[in-house]
Amino acid sequence: MLQEESDLSLIIAQIVQKLKGSNLYSQLERQAWASLQRPEIKLESLKEDIKEFFKISGWEKKLQNAVYGELSVFPLPSHPAAPPEHLKEPLVYMRKAQGSWEKRILKSLNSMCTELSIPLARKRPVGEQKELLNKWNEMGTDEPDLSLFRPVYAPKDFLEVLINLRNPNYENGDSLSFRTHLGLIQIPLKVKDIPELKECFVELGLNTGQLGIDDSTQVPPELFENEHVRIGQKVLAEQDSAAAQQYIRQGSPTALRAELWALILNISSEPEDVLYYEQLKTNVIQHDLLVDSLIYKDVKLTASNDDYYFVFEDYLYQVLLCFSRDTSVLSHFAYNSASPPKSYIRGKLGLEEYAVFYPPNGVIPFHGFSMYVAPLCFLYHEPSKLYQIFREMYVRFFFRLHSISSHPSGIVSLCLLFETLLQTYLPQLFYHLREIGAQPLRISFKWMVRAFSGYLATDQLLLLWDRILGYNSLEILAVLAAAVFAFRAVNLMEVTSLAAAEAVLADLSTLKVMPLLQIFLFATVT
Amino acid sequence: MSRILVPCHVKGTVALQVGDVRTSQGRPGVLVIDVTFPSVAPFELQEITFKNYYTAFLSIRVRQHTSAHTTAKWLTCLRDYCLMPDPHSEEGAQEYVSLFKHQSPSMTFPKWLSHPVPCEQPALLCESLPDPSRVSSEVQQMWALTEMIRASHTSARIGRFDVDGCYDLNLLSYT
Repeated sequence: MLQEESDLSLIIAQIVQKLKGSNLYSQLERQAWASLQRPEIKLESLKEDIKEFFKISGWEKKLQNAVYGELSVFPLPSHPAAPPEHLKEPLVYMRKAQGSWEKRILKSLNSMCTELSIPLARKRPVGEQKELLNKWNEMGTDEPDLSLFRPVYAPKDFLEVLINLRNPNYENGDSLSFRTHLGLIQIPLKVKDIPELKECFVELGLNTGQLGIDDSTQVPPELFENEHVRIGQKVLAEQDSAAAQQYIRQGSPTALRAELWALILNISSEPEDVLYYEQLKTNVIQHDLLVDSLIYKDVKLTASNDDYYFVFEDYLYQVLLCFSRDTSVLSHFAYNSASPPKSYIRGKLGLEEYAVFYPPNGVIPFHGFSMYVAPLCFLYHEPSKLYQIFREMYVRFFFRLHSISSHPSGIVSLCLLFETLLQTYLPQLFYHLREIGAQPLRISFKWMVRAFSGYLATDQLLLLWDRILGYNSLEILAVLAAAVFAFRAVNLMEVTSLAAAEAVLADLSTLKVMPLLQIFLFATVT
Repeated sequence: MSRILVPCHVKGTVALQVGDVRTSQGRPGVLVIDVTFPSVAPFELQEITFKNYYTAFLSIRVRQHTSAHTTAKWLTCLRDYCLMPDPHSEEGAQEYVSLFKHQSPSMTFPKWLSHPVPCEQPALLCESLPDPSRVSSEVQQMWALTEMIRASHTSARIGRFDVDGCYDLNLLSYT
């Protein structure tokens, strides 16, 4: 009916608007002009002929991929009367909570600034610029004194904020009743139950081949693996984002993963992209930011200590320092409940012409942030490509893991989904853990915030992230967290303290992700 | 035919509750909002827009005068229209909603008459072909919307984060 039609035209208008600023638009324009030379393009049927040319030459497919990419990221247009804040986050109390949390972070950063007498940003003297340029590929060898710096916040601080979230319109009384949530999250968000998850993750079912299960050494490759690889190669040849996204739900062959992810995220390394990355590098050379020290500290504390990722230390600096300077990241705040921190040029406080965002990309890293990048280093070795992939992963998925929102893939929903799954399908375990003061979310929160990076073995992590891309949702993180608890339920039933429970779940490096997910969703008696 | 806002007076909510309102043990599940139209001229209501706040179902009833001699009748335009698919969760709880003329099942929103002149009902939408002038006005609106978005802001990458080469900052601002 007419409402849907006007919704559609609004979506189309917004996507056109978005794509107009992209490289693809100028490329298509150039191609259209160039095609006028071609004999098959006739003036009488100009529009149709050019469209046909685009179809044959593969440009239509590129446009399709770009539109598909936009649809995956951009939320449905809301009501014309809805203000921009509504698009960021529809629930007022959540917006307020996010605002308070951000204020705390800003205060923490400001006090670090004043205590250490270090400016937020500083232009590097020429000598220092030259030195950094020379050291660009081995910044890990630097041992700056970071002892005075502390991470702005750690996941457990964020968890405390989420635990205290309340809907002012939700009455469940002070005393424990059947209406009180037994877990830590007290917000009545809608989360899926196992029947709904089974429908949603139907390709993970017992009758469908999976990489991570059906490619194990005992299974002859003719049964599934060979055919799956062949289909993957075909998908790559077609360069179709939507097909790749569907394909990767069953996992990606290692050899094809880098290309498949790039196709799904619609990343192509054009010369303009490499140039853009070089520009960001120049920005890093020219200005030193306080957040750089936070990044250094984070990398040194997390990735450098990790057996799998320490080799990539230099790459991590090259990506994260550039990420902080990238103003194109600011556009994702249109659909992120968070807002970029603001500051003013020294001496121009309050004058809007001198207002800037800090850091330039508006994202303040927290403890463990570098772990979002680390696994990608296994797939991409060219810094600008690695950078693009990470940036796209961040603005599509990772930002939801550390901002307060009601989105189904937001961390609040993931926490509630995890707790609800555990309560519903492992009630005895849940009750026992609660009784001994080991609320399950306190253990699993850090896994979900980091999307399991640093907790699983890398090959398993990449199989998990395949599915995040395939389903365009982070819900699988909550399902896996519950599946891990289910797997270790017997041991957990025997512990009598939070510390002992944590010990049982301390080492996830031997876990096989896909069997756990499959059993939990499809093979558990409900 | 362009749309204009109709001035209306929205009264406060009244709870439908049996018994003494002061004993607040039971929370009433049904609230009533009266909307009156002080304007004198008759108008054809096209759209009702509001922001929801935890209402699960909505019914709309209108009181219509057909002529001076018959008493005003109450008609139900919308019954139990679902705003929140699961009333115990947040879905739809704070959404902006528009209700259109064509959503009212059997009749249009009737014309409100302030003076007793009998008037024809306007043609109904659902079954017959759309009215060309209406379609053209809808298309015009969509076009205006597209133009508005196009004119508003570019999505080109800005790139610069400094102001004239300077990025020497104070502290972070809390506003």
